[in-house]
Formats: sequence, C-alpha cells, structure tokens
Amino acid sequence: MNAATIPNDVARRNKRAAIIALSFALGMLALGYAAVPLYRIFCEATGFGGTTMKVSEATASAIAVTDKQITVRFDSNVSSALPWRFKPENPTEKITIGARDMAAFVAENLSSKPVTGTATFNVTPVQAGRYFAKVQCFCFTEQTLQPGEKVRMPVIYYVDPAILTDPDTKDIEEITLSYTFYPLDQAKKGS
Amino acid sequence: MTTIAANPADLHDHDHAHDDHKPAFFQRWFMSTNHKDIGTLYLIFAIFAGIIGGAISGLMRMELAEPGVQYLQGWATMMQGSEATLDQAYHMWNVLITAHGLIMVFFMVMPAMVGGFGNWFVPIMIGAPDMAFPRMNNISFWLLVPAFALLLGSTFVPGGSGLGAGTGWTVYAPLSTSGSVGPAVDLAILSLHLAGASSILGAINFITTIFNMRAPGMTLNKMPLFVWSMLVTAFLLLLSLPVLAAAITMLLTDRNFGSAFFNAAGGGDPVLYQHLFWFFGHPEVYIMILPGFGMISHIIATFSKKPVFGYLGMAYAMVAIGVVGFVVWAHHMFTVGLSVNMKMYFTAATMVIAVPTGIKIFSWIATMWGGSLTFKTPMIWALGFIFMFTVGGVTGVVLANGGVDDNMHDTYYVVAHFHYVLSLGAVFSIFAGFYYWFPKMSGRHYSELLGHLHFWVFFVGVNILFFPMHFLGRQGMPRRYPDYPEAFAYWNEIASLGYAIMAAGMLIFFINIAYALVAGRRAEGNYWGEGATTLEWTLSSPPPFHQFETLPVIK
Amino acid sequence: MAFASWTKSIGFAALVLVTAPLALAQTPPAPPVTAPTPSTQVAPATDAPAADAAPADAAASALDSSYTPMAPTAGKGMPVDKGIDFQKQYSELGEYAHWLDTSVLLPIIVAISLLVLALLFWVVFRYRAAANPNPSRVTHNTTIEVIWTLVPVLILVGVAVPSIDLLAKQYKPAPASAVTVKVTGYQWYWGYTYPDNGDFEVVSNMLTEEDAIKSGEPFQLAVDNRMVVPAGEPIRIITTASDVIHSFSVPSLWFKMDAVPGRSNEKMLIIKEPGVYYGQCSELCGARHGFMPIAVEALPRAKFDAWVRSQGGTVKGDEVAAAAPAAVPAAATTTPAAEGAAAAAAAPAAAQ
Repeated sequence: MNAATIPNDVARRNKRAAIIALSFALGMLALGYAAVPLYRIFCEATGFGGTTMKVSEATASAIAVTDKQITVRFDSNVSSALPWRFKPENPTEKITIGARDMAAFVAENLSSKPVTGTATFNVTPVQAGRYFAKVQCFCFTEQTLQPGEKVRMPVIYYVDPAILTDPDTKDIEEITLSYTFYPLDQAKKGS
Repeated sequence: MTTIAANPADLHDHDHAHDDHKPAFFQRWFMSTNHKDIGTLYLIFAIFAGIIGGAISGLMRMELAEPGVQYLQGWATMMQGSEATLDQAYHMWNVLITAHGLIMVFFMVMPAMVGGFGNWFVPIMIGAPDMAFPRMNNISFWLLVPAFALLLGSTFVPGGSGLGAGTGWTVYAPLSTSGSVGPAVDLAILSLHLAGASSILGAINFITTIFNMRAPGMTLNKMPLFVWSMLVTAFLLLLSLPVLAAAITMLLTDRNFGSAFFNAAGGGDPVLYQHLFWFFGHPEVYIMILPGFGMISHIIATFSKKPVFGYLGMAYAMVAIGVVGFVVWAHHMFTVGLSVNMKMYFTAATMVIAVPTGIKIFSWIATMWGGSLTFKTPMIWALGFIFMFTVGGVTGVVLANGGVDDNMHDTYYVVAHFHYVLSLGAVFSIFAGFYYWFPKMSGRHYSELLGHLHFWVFFVGVNILFFPMHFLGRQGMPRRYPDYPEAFAYWNEIASLGYAIMAAGMLIFFINIAYALVAGRRAEGNYWGEGATTLEWTLSSPPPFHQFETLPVIK
Repeated sequence: MAFASWTKSIGFAALVLVTAPLALAQTPPAPPVTAPTPSTQVAPATDAPAADAAPADAAASALDSSYTPMAPTAGKGMPVDKGIDFQKQYSELGEYAHWLDTSVLLPIIVAISLLVLALLFWVVFRYRAAANPNPSRVTHNTTIEVIWTLVPVLILVGVAVPSIDLLAKQYKPAPASAVTVKVTGYQWYWGYTYPDNGDFEVVSNMLTEEDAIKSGEPFQLAVDNRMVVPAGEPIRIITTASDVIHSFSVPSLWFKMDAVPGRSNEKMLIIKEPGVYYGQCSELCGARHGFMPIAVEALPRAKFDAWVRSQGGTVKGDEVAAAAPAAVPAAATTTPAAEGAAAAAAAPAAAQ
C-alpha cells in the first residue's frame, strides 16, 4: 500500500489526527516531568508522606496555644558515606500543642577533613506532616564542618492545634521527626 | 454488530489483479509498508522473544525446583567467563527475573497483540486498505529490534554485583541508580525508551487509522469489538508510555548526570519514581489484556454462531476499564507508607474495576447462552481464557484490599495473580487469536488434533505451575528470591513440574505450526462459516496483498 | 545463662564487651568473635552509646540482665511444609485481616470462580451444536445486564466495609508509652535501634546453614541477633533504609512496611504472646535480597528488660534503682524536659 493511494483529504485528516495524538503524548511526557515539582508542591501542601509545613514567624505567632500535650521524638540518621556523628540532644520531648518549641541536634565531624552535609527529613505518622510546622530549621541548608568540629543545630517548630480536630490525627500521641544527613558531593553526584 | 454489503466475490476478483505487485524480498520485509507484512513481522518477533523469555523462566523454575542454589553460579560463570562468586550468582538471578519480565511484557505480549494482531486485522476489520501511516508502521516495528538487542546486550555488561541489569522490571530507584553501578541498567533503560517510542508511534497510527480510515457506514458503534479494544489500548499506550519515558529518563540523568529526581541525598524522593512507574504500569497491564478481550469476543461469537451479547456494554466496559486503570496505580505501593486516606481510596478504586470486568465475563457467557457451540481449537482456548482470567481477576480483588495486601504484597500470591491474568489470560487469548486467524494469515490449516492437544497440555501445565504459587504466597514466600527455606520446597517442586508440562505443550504448538506451513490444508476465505461475520472473512486466505481498493460499504 | 547459647549469638559479643562490667557480673567472658555472618559481611560499627552507660555500679548489676535466645516453636511464626493457608497470626490485627481473607474474601472468590466454571460447563453442555443446532439471536436483556452490574457492586460494597475498617485500625497510631524500635535496612542485613533504651543498635545477619541447624532454627530465616520486643505491648516500629529500598515483613504478624532511604515510616505492632516470628526482606534490594531474613523475638516484659540490659541498654526506672549518681546517661532520659538541654534532663532524675 502506498501512502499516495490514500485520498488527499483523508491524508490531511490523518495528519491532523496524528498531530493531535502526538500532542497528547508530548503533553503526558511534559506531565511526567512536571510531576516532580507538582509532587513536591502537593507534598508541601498536604503533608503527604510526612512532609512538614514551613511557616513564617508571623504565622507561627498567630497560633493559639492549647493545654494539650504531645510527645515529639527526634530521630537521626547519617549516610554511611558521611563521617559524622549526628544525634538529637534529647530523643523525645513533651511539648504543648500550639506552643513554639526548640529542639537541637548535635553534629560532629569525625574525620580529619572538612565535610559538607545536607539533610532530608519527614515526620511519622505520615498523617501528622501537615500539622508539624517548622519556623526555622537546618533542613537542606548545606552544613560544612571542619575536622572535629561540633555544632548544635536548632529546629524551631510547633504542632498545629488543628491536629486535635482531624479524625486521622487526633489519636496521635507521639510524632517522630526524622532527619537523614548525606554528604553533599554524594547528593550532587546523584548517587 | 456489522453486516457487510460488499460482495466478497467482487472484492476478491478486484484485488486479485494486484497480487503480482508484491515487492521483492528485501523491499517487502525490511522496508515493508504493508500492514499485513508488518503484522507478520511482529508475530515472528513475538514468538522469537517469547521463546527467549520462556526459556529464562525455565532457568528460573529449574533453580527453584529444590532448595539451595544449584545452577546460578554455573550460569553466572558461563556468562562472565570467570568463576562467579556467590553474589554474582545471586545477581544473575535478579538479571533473570528482570529479563523475563521485560521481555514478556514489552517484547512478547505487546508485539503479539498490538503489533501482530492489531496490524493485521484492525485495517481489515474497519474496511481500510492499510494503516494511516504505513511507513511509520514500519519504523515502529524496526525500533523494536534494536530495543531488544539493547536489552539482551545489557546482560553482558556490568550492572552492579554482576553482569546485567538486576533491578526487576520495575527498575525502582535507588536500586537502579546508586544500587547498580555499570552500563547494564543504562542499556536496559535505553531499550525501554526505544520500545516505548515504538509503541507510541504505533498508538498514534492506530488512533488515526481507527478514527479516519473506516469504510463508509462503519460507525464507531458498529466497529468490531477487537477494533474497540485496540482503540482503547492505543489511548492507554499514548497516555501512559510518555510518563514511563519521563520517569526512566530521569533515572538515566540521576545515574549519569548528577540530577537527584529520585535521590534522597539530593532532596529527591524514591517514592516519586514508584508513583510515575505505576502510573504507567497499571494501564500497561490493561494494554496487555484489552486486545485479548477483543479477540475473545470475536471467537466466542464465531463459535456460538451468535452475535456478541451486549455489544455496547462490552465496548463501554473496555473504555471504563481503561479510564479507571489510570486512577488506581498506588495499589502497587500499599506498603510504601501511604497515608490512611490514600490507601482507602486506592483500595476502593481498585475494587471498582471488578465491575466492568465482571460485565465482560458474564457477557461472554451470555453470548454462548442459546448459541450453537462448536469446539474448534480457538474456542477451547477462549473458554480456557474465560475461566483462568476469572481466577486471576478474583485474586486481584483480594489484593486490592490494602489491609490484606500488607501480608501479600511482594509475595508469590502476587506472582500467581498476575500470571493468571497474563500468562493464563493474555497468553491464552493470544493463542486463541493465533489459532483463530492463523489460516487466514497463512492460508494454511493447522492440525485441529494438535491444537487441542496443545491446549490441554498447556492448560494442565500452567495451572500446575501457577496455582501452587497462591499457597506459597499465603505462606509468606517473597517473590524475586533465588532460594527459600525448606518449608516452601514442596509447592516449588510442583510448580517446576508444571513448567515442564507447559514446555511440552509449547513443543506441540511449534510442531503444529511447522506442520501447517509445510503440509497444512489450504484455507478458504471464511473457514469458520456463518458465525464469522467481520470483514476479514470476506477476503481470501491469505488476504490479497492490497485489500479494499474499492472500499466496502457497511449497512 | 548457658555458655553455649552465647556462642550461637556471637554478634552480641561486641555489645557484651562494651558493657563488660554489667555483663561480666553474670556471664563468662564472651567467646572469641567467630562471626557467623555471611563471609564478606562487615557489620558497621554500632554507634553504641552504650559505652556511656558503662559506669554502671554495683546496684545496677543486681538488676536482671540475663538473656538466652528463645528456641523457636516448630510451625509458629514460620512457614510450614506444604502449607496452603496464611501463617497463624499472633497479632489481633493479623487475626482480623486473616479472618477478612479466609471468611469473607476467599469464600466469595471461590464462589464466583465456581459460578463461572459451572456456567461454562452448562453452556458447553447445553448449547453444544449437537444439542442446540439453531442458535438464538438474543443479544440484549436489560434485566440480566443490570443484575450482573449491580450484584458485583453490592458484593464489593459488602467487602469494602470490613476492608476499610481494617485499614483504619491498622493506622491507629502507637501511644506515647510504646516501645520504639527503629528498623534500618542495609544491603544486606537489618539493624534494630532502641532509642529509648540507650539508643543501641542490634545488627542482624542471616545465620549460615550450619549455624542455623546448630541452633535448631530454619535456615534462611534464622539470624544471629534478633529484634527483641516485649509481648502484649504496643511497639512503635519506625523503618528507614541506609542504601536502597528494603521492606520489613513478618507474615505471622501481618506486618509489612517498606524501609525507604531518606524517609521514615511508622506503624504500631502488638504481638499477642511470646515467641519467635520470622520474616524476610520483601522489596528487591540487590544481590542478597533473598538472604537478609528477619527474626522478631517477643518476650514477657521482665525478660525484655533483662535483654535490654544484656545489650548494655537502659530500662526506664533503672536509673532510680542505680541510685543515680552522676552518670545518668542522657540518652536514657524519659523525663518530660521542656526545653532540650541534656543537663536539664539529668536533673529531675537525680532529684528523685
């Protein structure tokens, strides 16, 4: 069958249909890539996967303090490629819901070279993510530690009182905030 | 469904004049623009890939036949030419499961159904002389060849602990990025790119053909169900494959160019890859079964001498399955740490698919109800399909329950489930279609006796092979394990025995094909008689090189 | 404390050595380390702050710190030969889920399959060409089409009720008092950290075939160091991974949760009775994916506490018994300190 035997008008319609179909495919391809920022936005907006909320000073100070308490656990992980010790100062703290609180992690470079690390984090139970608000933290800030240097890394956060009214989260008695530190070069190298 | 106004004799005469215009061998097969020749190429390719993929599963069943690692080290040593360590042997196992999955999905089932039967019969069934874009059709096929070569080639280059890509067909990050050093995974990803591009071009071609090239009077609501199934499949391909392409391209840049889409160390999320993969992966399983639904509808109608029951319901059920197939993907990720609402939604949405699927099963039975059934080879394959697909379908309803899946996820229960819907569903429908149309495509009859024998041996074999996997899965045996605790030995041995029976069945199949090609009785135009009503039965067997130069008119 | 039992769980030895003063009080010196771990395996140095707990005084040794790995019960918490059902469940949610499968889903799917099979047999028999030479032309029957759409919908709604209920129960968060175990997946072994008990990490490798046989456990399920937890109490399991995705799975507890690098997952588990419950990694994680089993040992509370001490860990309340001189380990604090300074944490304990 030669393409030439297809009548002209059909060929034209074919071309149009193919272009529409192709644009669908390209649209989905674009959507595939767009999924990366969209997923991040989605996580940040809904706390999906235990993503914490990032709030400004102003928002934080507008939060009403309740008389209810909740335990917050601090969990730390260090990539095997990063020669650091990284631990929370306290494994758990009991805080008042709505009240701003500060927790600190201590990182120490155990090697004889300056090393830069960067962290990733989430909270569990994952439903608690949207009610765990961080006012200030070291998340993803690149941290360079000199050999043997020890630094204290504070996290200022609060637990949104709305956690008490959401049926999925009102039973939560303890939230775990987990950080994992990776060496920066590894992050850059993408492996 | 359709009534055909064109006089078959007329068409035949008319086309006969062109029979002599077949191009020379190289031109005909390597630069083919003829949908039937390209369909034949696809079928040959699928059979070839199926032999390799099937042989790999043979190696797997051999290794799993008894506890302990008996053969892997030897095979790995053979592959790399030097004494293999235990880790290299275990890596070899991961290469086998990866290759088996990718080959069967991308190089066997899809080429056979979409490329083979789709190319052969979609233009004929809608009364078109050919596909809308014959040259693009040729490109689609020939992209598959380097794709397959890349995949096979990847097994000879380093991929982490040993040679080859050992990531599973899902290619999850970070195992596929930081976990697999070496070019093997890159080659496998490029292979998927090519296969995906081939399928997207094919999908564009099918959509254009079905929308624009239908003969006068062939409205959408008169279209044979196989064409409907191919239309839905083409849309699924068009909308899902680009997402896979995006995901695996990001894997590639994560691996080679320092991006961190899925790398937690750089702020990426490995779970995002799973979302993207299964956004493609779930429609993909319908891509593999929908054309089968179409073929089964034709076969059941033909051998019941009755039109399909509930034609519109059947067509819309396929559309519904296709649409819902896009919003259930995370049921493959129930243990990844979804929130409770997500898990409830995906549980409920997944169970919804059972409804249109049930409509199809019951409509097939209703088609036979009141019919006058003859049990030629395609019909018994179709009957086997209906029952086996039901068994695979109902275990899917079990797995859809997120809370229950917590135990079954990644166990042999899942392996049993998807082999019942694919290896006993999709593959049974491929055999049914093959036996249904083989004389039409080749002009030769196969042996009915051997066809029946093939069915029964294969049927017994695959059931002995896959049914015990339900038991293994319920007992907790995880999938993708080269070895297992003693307690799993009994059912594994039975499953391996089932493989041997199935392989014997395949031998009968090849003997039958050889017999048909060498000594098969010549087939007339409509060898199935009055039950066969679609347009391909108005043509000779094999059909003329160019058909429908005068378009048939459908009333 | 049998000497032999220690030889079976050599991995403990390192930890025992760290906590020497405590351990020596009751046990013979740990035997030489002949790690029964897979040949090339190097366990990472446990980041054992247990060392901080070393200056335990005489009072601490009065506390029970003896531990003998429990012998598994044949057929309990492990697959059984020729088994076709789920493993017997040892958690309430497991029993619920097992009931959902065996009493709801399984009968339904068997019934549907048999119905389809029976219909197929019937049409094959009744409408074969010899019995029914003239086919009908019926292609529509609205009533039957509505029925076979609605009946499945009703069945699915019926299934969805317990299914959604099960999900809701599975997501019940652990109480603040739950014992926390952090499970870390490594290529290819597991690490179990007890942040509230001194933050020690237990590294768990598969036993070789000889060692498994010696300790009377199933090969490929047996490990050198088990994840020990108290029975009958809520346990908060937090999973994460160090390299690629793993999945922490114990079939007899109906528990499976992926361990994803860079993020943690959490789920509550309550094991009904003491016992050893085996599982296997359930997400493809590379070459030795099949060889990083999981063994959970549930013990009565007192024995669990003793195990914690045998690991050099601390149990809530120990610091009181130990008269709490200067050396209260900060890591062991359970005090409700408001603003987090380690000194502040030690103060209330000392005050008691």
